[in-house]
Amino acid sequence: MNARYGMVIDLDRCTGCGACMIACAAENNVPPAQPRATYRTGVTPMLVRKATNGQEGALRREVFVPITCMQCEEETPCVSVCPQQAVEVDKATGIVMQIPQRCLGCRYCMTACPYHARYFNWWDPQWPAGMENSLNPGVAVRMRGVVEKCNLCHARLHSAMAKAAAEGKREIDPADYVPACVEACPTGAILFGNLADEKDPVYAAAHSADSFRLLARIGTEPKIHYKSTQAWIRALAERSTEHSGEAQHG
Amino acid sequence: MKVSRRDLLLGSAGVAAGLVFTPVPWKLLGDASIWTQNWPWIPQPAHGPIETKQSVCTLCAAGCGIRVRMAAGWPVGVSGVSTHPLTKGALCPLAFAAQQLNWHPQRLREVRHRGRAASWADAKAAFEKACSEGPVAIVDGRPGRAASSVFEAFAAKHTGSYQVVLGPENRALLPYAEWSGVPVCALGYDLENARTVVSFGASLLDGWGTPGRFTRLWSKRAAGQMDPPLRLIQIEPSLSRTAARAWRWVPVKEGSEAALAAGLARVLIEERLTSTKGPVPPMTLAEASTQTGLSIEEIRDLARTIAANRPAVVITPDANPAVAALNVLLGAVGASGGIVLRGKRRAASTIPGPANNSLRAVLIDATVPWEYVPQSDAEVFRFAAWDGGNSKADWLLPAPGFLEELTDLPTEPTSAVETYAIAVNLLTPGAEIKSATQFLAQIDGSLPEIEKVIHARCEELFKSRAGTVFAAKAVAVAQSESAQKLEEQLRGGGVWMNDAPRSGSLPCTLKQWPTDAAKSRALDWASLWAPAVLPPLAGKLYQESNLREAPARRSA
Repeated sequence: MNARYGMVIDLDRCTGCGACMIACAAENNVPPAQPRATYRTGVTPMLVRKATNGQEGALRREVFVPITCMQCEEETPCVSVCPQQAVEVDKATGIVMQIPQRCLGCRYCMTACPYHARYFNWWDPQWPAGMENSLNPGVAVRMRGVVEKCNLCHARLHSAMAKAAAEGKREIDPADYVPACVEACPTGAILFGNLADEKDPVYAAAHSADSFRLLARIGTEPKIHYKSTQAWIRALAERSTEHSGEAQHG
Repeated sequence: MKVSRRDLLLGSAGVAAGLVFTPVPWKLLGDASIWTQNWPWIPQPAHGPIETKQSVCTLCAAGCGIRVRMAAGWPVGVSGVSTHPLTKGALCPLAFAAQQLNWHPQRLREVRHRGRAASWADAKAAFEKACSEGPVAIVDGRPGRAASSVFEAFAAKHTGSYQVVLGPENRALLPYAEWSGVPVCALGYDLENARTVVSFGASLLDGWGTPGRFTRLWSKRAAGQMDPPLRLIQIEPSLSRTAARAWRWVPVKEGSEAALAAGLARVLIEERLTSTKGPVPPMTLAEASTQTGLSIEEIRDLARTIAANRPAVVITPDANPAVAALNVLLGAVGASGGIVLRGKRRAASTIPGPANNSLRAVLIDATVPWEYVPQSDAEVFRFAAWDGGNSKADWLLPAPGFLEELTDLPTEPTSAVETYAIAVNLLTPGAEIKSATQFLAQIDGSLPEIEKVIHARCEELFKSRAGTVFAAKAVAVAQSESAQKLEEQLRGGGVWMNDAPRSGSLPCTLKQWPTDAAKSRALDWASLWAPAVLPPLAGKLYQESNLREAPARRSA
């Protein structure tokens, strides 16, 4: 396999419903919020933020921006700073992998990530009594003290590879590997596929005139692309999600 | 053998070198890191055979198609079904964590009488006593189900009443039912053929109707387009989620929707933008402008835009005759792309019965919205899977939860076409759980059984030879082999959908412009969700992020 998995998120189609956030958490056994958890201390590997055009009244416009690990291809900041080699870029798929067993919880990677797409487990994972029966058996629960982030539902990739191997195939069927957020989006705003395959629809979408990447100027070559027909939304791309006066947590 | 200092040093060096070159320390380090991730107090998923079942969601009236991933017999994941004719794979955000609901801390697992633990025998004795003393009322939140037939039969046999609680989307259609004489459950919105959808505050992109039906349509025909084939115009005081994505957002003053509707009607009539005759609203354009905060020219422009892009349909979140009358003037009632007659299959019938003050008992089915409180002095028996807290019911009776009950789902309130689906019980509830129909069957053994009612309905569908069953592939009922085969497909998660209705068969007379005040209440994003509680993961949306406002705490 020599793929470069990525996404193109059509911001004109995102209604900010949050289905991607809940589907992601359910698929990856992310625990429910602790009573004291806030947006700063919660774990949301897929997080939909809200940004505005800065106007008020009838001229005000809003856009919802799903933020997840950007799967940086070059000079991946989190890989560069991790003292434990707990972050790796998978050569076969391009997926930036977080290995919780190696993580010692120093959070350098969280500081280094320009997209604020990494989360620290401040508490032991807990579910109400009996609810552990509803956990996905394909994903291990992470414990307190480690960093986590989106890994493009790697367990689903494993399942697709296992299925392909059982059928004697070398390549997976693209229909067998669809991350939970992509599957959940009710408007089909998230397109997922192999950016290295020119025949894949995601390739054409990523190279369309309306597509852009967040903070492209810093040269990390994210594999998460966005698109919008509106200029003010495209202009958001070069603004940091945390430090902009207009962007809001959402 | 004497060990010299030199031997000791050589040996130590050898051991050190050996440790470096053997995998043992690295293996131990790796194992230790894995052990530290697996402390006994860290929850572990249940492992067992994995299978996928298809069904329909019963948590609200929409009846979305769901695919349930089961591991060791427990549901561990929910996703949409792309072959579902209405949802096309889309679900509401909460459905993706619905598998958590059965273990929610507020799951009702015991009979409670005025806050204290009681038994089913106590509840049965109390209900039987009430039945013997006078009339009882049964309140149903989802009319048209097999269970509804059981309730109707019980009420008829015991001189009681059978009452129906309509949801806001059903209530929004009440004015058309009144003006046309057609039952409200026979009406729906033909959104697929509309060119303009004017929403007066309805959350069309945020849970209204069948989540997925309009969002898919909007995504395909409107999103991001300057001149889209489907224009969504949102009239709302604040920039809601739907307003943010609408083709045009028209901010008006709070509570001035009826004034804007009157203003638009004035322009349509004055400028002869409509061929449909209707009453002239009593309000002048200047008055409408003052009340709405829009200029007269803005109202004129909006009316012209709507008239130029027909078929156009106006949607309100709840009953609002003063706005609904706009549809009559636009010729949208009984026309393609408007309010259509979808059929009269299993029209909801109510049994009026005695006045509330003479009732001895009120039985509320679990499908009734949690905030519903009957105005009666009678003893209230409420079935609920989850205890929303602060219940005013005398008896709280634990009902089946998610995927725990065999039920059928009639057509969703806003659908333009009749549908029918069956949700089988993929899980077996505990002995302490009983549905309202099981409870009534213990009191009156002659009531119809759910299984038999569903079987009869499938027979009826088969004999009609109309419509299509959307299962793994779409099969016309006319080509079905037998009623049993059709029922099998529906029990496997398939959905029956009738053929598209013919337009123009809905005469609607409106003699004077209605001035009734809107009967609506504030709806938050979770209001349309039937359970009294939300899945714990819903906190991702309002606690661990600011994506949504925390839902208002509901009580009954």
